[in-house]
Amino acid sequence: MLNKLSNQPLIRALAQLLSVVHPWLIKTLGRDRLEYFASNTVNELTQRIDPFIWTYDCKVKVIAIRQETADTKTFVLLPNQHFATPIAGQHIELTSIGPDHNANRCYTLSEVTPDTVSITVKLNPEGEVSPWLHYQAEVGMVFDSSLARGKFVHRDQSKVLFICAGSGITPAFSIINHLLNSSHKLAENNELSDTQVGLFYRTQTPENTIFCQRLAQLESAHKNVKVELSYSRLPVDVVTPSFIDQLVAAYPDIKQQHVYLCGPELFRNDVIQYLESVDFNLNNLDVEQFTLPGISNLQVGIDGQNNRSNLEGDVSVTLKAQNINFVIPAGDCDKTLLEAAEEQGIVMEHGCRSGMCGSCKTNLVSGEVSGHKIGRSIYPCTAYPASNHIVLE
Amino acid sequence: MPFLFLHRNLEAIEIGHNVLHGQYDSFDEIPQFHAKNFRWKAPVDETSWRQEHNAVHHVHTNVYEKDPDLNHGFLRVNSQVPHTKLHYFQVPIYLFLFYPFMLYNFNAQNLGIVDKFRAKYFPQGNKGYAVVDEALRLSKAEGQKRHKRAVRRVWAKEYVFFPLLALLSGFGAIKVFLANFLVDVMNSYWIALTIQATHFTEPLQPEDAIKNKGKWYVSQLDSSVNFKGNRWQSILWGHLNYQVEHHLFPDIPAHRYPDMAIDVRAVCKQYNLPYKCNDSWRAAIKKFVGAMWTYSFKNPAVPIKAAFLDKAAYIDKEAVNAK
Repeated sequence: MLNKLSNQPLIRALAQLLSVVHPWLIKTLGRDRLEYFASNTVNELTQRIDPFIWTYDCKVKVIAIRQETADTKTFVLLPNQHFATPIAGQHIELTSIGPDHNANRCYTLSEVTPDTVSITVKLNPEGEVSPWLHYQAEVGMVFDSSLARGKFVHRDQSKVLFICAGSGITPAFSIINHLLNSSHKLAENNELSDTQVGLFYRTQTPENTIFCQRLAQLESAHKNVKVELSYSRLPVDVVTPSFIDQLVAAYPDIKQQHVYLCGPELFRNDVIQYLESVDFNLNNLDVEQFTLPGISNLQVGIDGQNNRSNLEGDVSVTLKAQNINFVIPAGDCDKTLLEAAEEQGIVMEHGCRSGMCGSCKTNLVSGEVSGHKIGRSIYPCTAYPASNHIVLE
Repeated sequence: MPFLFLHRNLEAIEIGHNVLHGQYDSFDEIPQFHAKNFRWKAPVDETSWRQEHNAVHHVHTNVYEKDPDLNHGFLRVNSQVPHTKLHYFQVPIYLFLFYPFMLYNFNAQNLGIVDKFRAKYFPQGNKGYAVVDEALRLSKAEGQKRHKRAVRRVWAKEYVFFPLLALLSGFGAIKVFLANFLVDVMNSYWIALTIQATHFTEPLQPEDAIKNKGKWYVSQLDSSVNFKGNRWQSILWGHLNYQVEHHLFPDIPAHRYPDMAIDVRAVCKQYNLPYKCNDSWRAAIKKFVGAMWTYSFKNPAVPIKAAFLDKAAYIDKEAVNAK
């Protein structure tokens, strides 16, 4: 009956209309009020009419696609009300994408506006997901998404230098834009912001440079921005110094800067090697590695009951609902999950702390715990980590 | 009308209350009945209710000065609460002023937005039963925002949308409005009498009742009371007539309580623990209203209700600890 009803022309027209006004809805209502409205009106019928708004999951919708270079596209995504405004530099994980709708991929947000986020994807012809995104994805498609996460974000340092290569430009680009926007706001309020921003960007050729024009615009429009490009595949007859030399020539005061490093592994290793050779204080270095805990390579404990004390190394725990990732040091593994989380300053819902009231009850998504559990349900106040990666709902 | 009441009743307790306890969280195929997703069709904010009810009331049930769930300003149903003049009138005030709008009272209580009013007008009335803990209290603005939201969604639907729908389709809008109002009042009475009658006739518990698991279970047994009803009736009470089982195992799907009750009763008998059960809902209400009446006088000539944990007869300590 519901199928019949949702196929009525009037209902179909309503669905069409809603999907057109999504950006307007989210902009005018705001996510908070939209959440209030949607969560109180969700039912079988509304879920069929508009599964983007009447849903329990965080979803993003493609609202624009831009060609950046010959093999790079930017997808502007409109998240629904379950999304929380990200910090520039964070990434999202898109789930159930790809030709078979079973792949998961993480993408750094290349641009963050109050209502939308963008991801910039480079085509990898041998890959599975990026060709699909490049050739099959179109405006209006909806993907499942995680909330934004990651710690590769600006933390109020006054002198920052981004060293990036290839598609590693994406977090740097979003952080730089965010910094300039916020300093613009400060300037309007007659407050001075003197964040010095440097960018060293290594790409193959000028044609392959993502955000080439916009970077040039940024540099010319702002005094405190300096952009240095370096190319790895120029014609043979052009003699170029090694990129490390270029880096040093462009930023001789690198030791006074806070360095954000993002790019392919070989590139990262070269830069880190150089930084170590000049006694750079590695506390002033942030590296984005594109490997995420808790998503792949789960090392599941053999026997959940007995290996509590045998657990080797740190345990990474992800709380999906709160979108929090934290690490329990190896020494704390004899503590309950609740205690360990509180040790890290994380608040988990709890009541009696002894496994009786059920306030803390949650579901285990992956990994192993020992102690108080019934099937998939576990009680963090009386459960202990039993594998190195634990994902809780 | 009866069906409207049935709907409101089921939504409020058998579904709402039990879902928000997380009883169905482990079923992936029904995300709409997970505690974090569920939206009540009652004027109660879910997040603060879960905090206050699951994490405070269910832990410190009837514990002296710790349980905020049941007291709504002033109520004296045992001699530990100091007597004030207002208590002389507590029976009519509760029955005719508070209970018809009980769900709104619950929400205001959970969000802590009436605490100041209460502290001003009933300074002694809160003794014995607590207000929501200072640490859990929301900021005033946040509390009022959530209160507005929780209430307005119900009003929008019951008193605006459906009357309008009736008007447009040629039925009586006023009838719909009044029916909704009447059903809300009935529902509030129903819920208030069900839960108050299963807690308030029982003694207040000592403060160290949650010191260890054994004591906690005993205090839960002692602070709740069941009343008899068959399985169909139990659904209408949200299975809260199995209040004892609900308090021992709050996160187990409620329709299992009748089966569990058999075992719980056997264990209680074996270890000589209190397991209390009224013969009917009517008997439970009678006992509760009776207690309200008795304690509305200053020094009622009735024996003091002592908690099982406090009693001198409490010698079977080892049996309790073993359990």
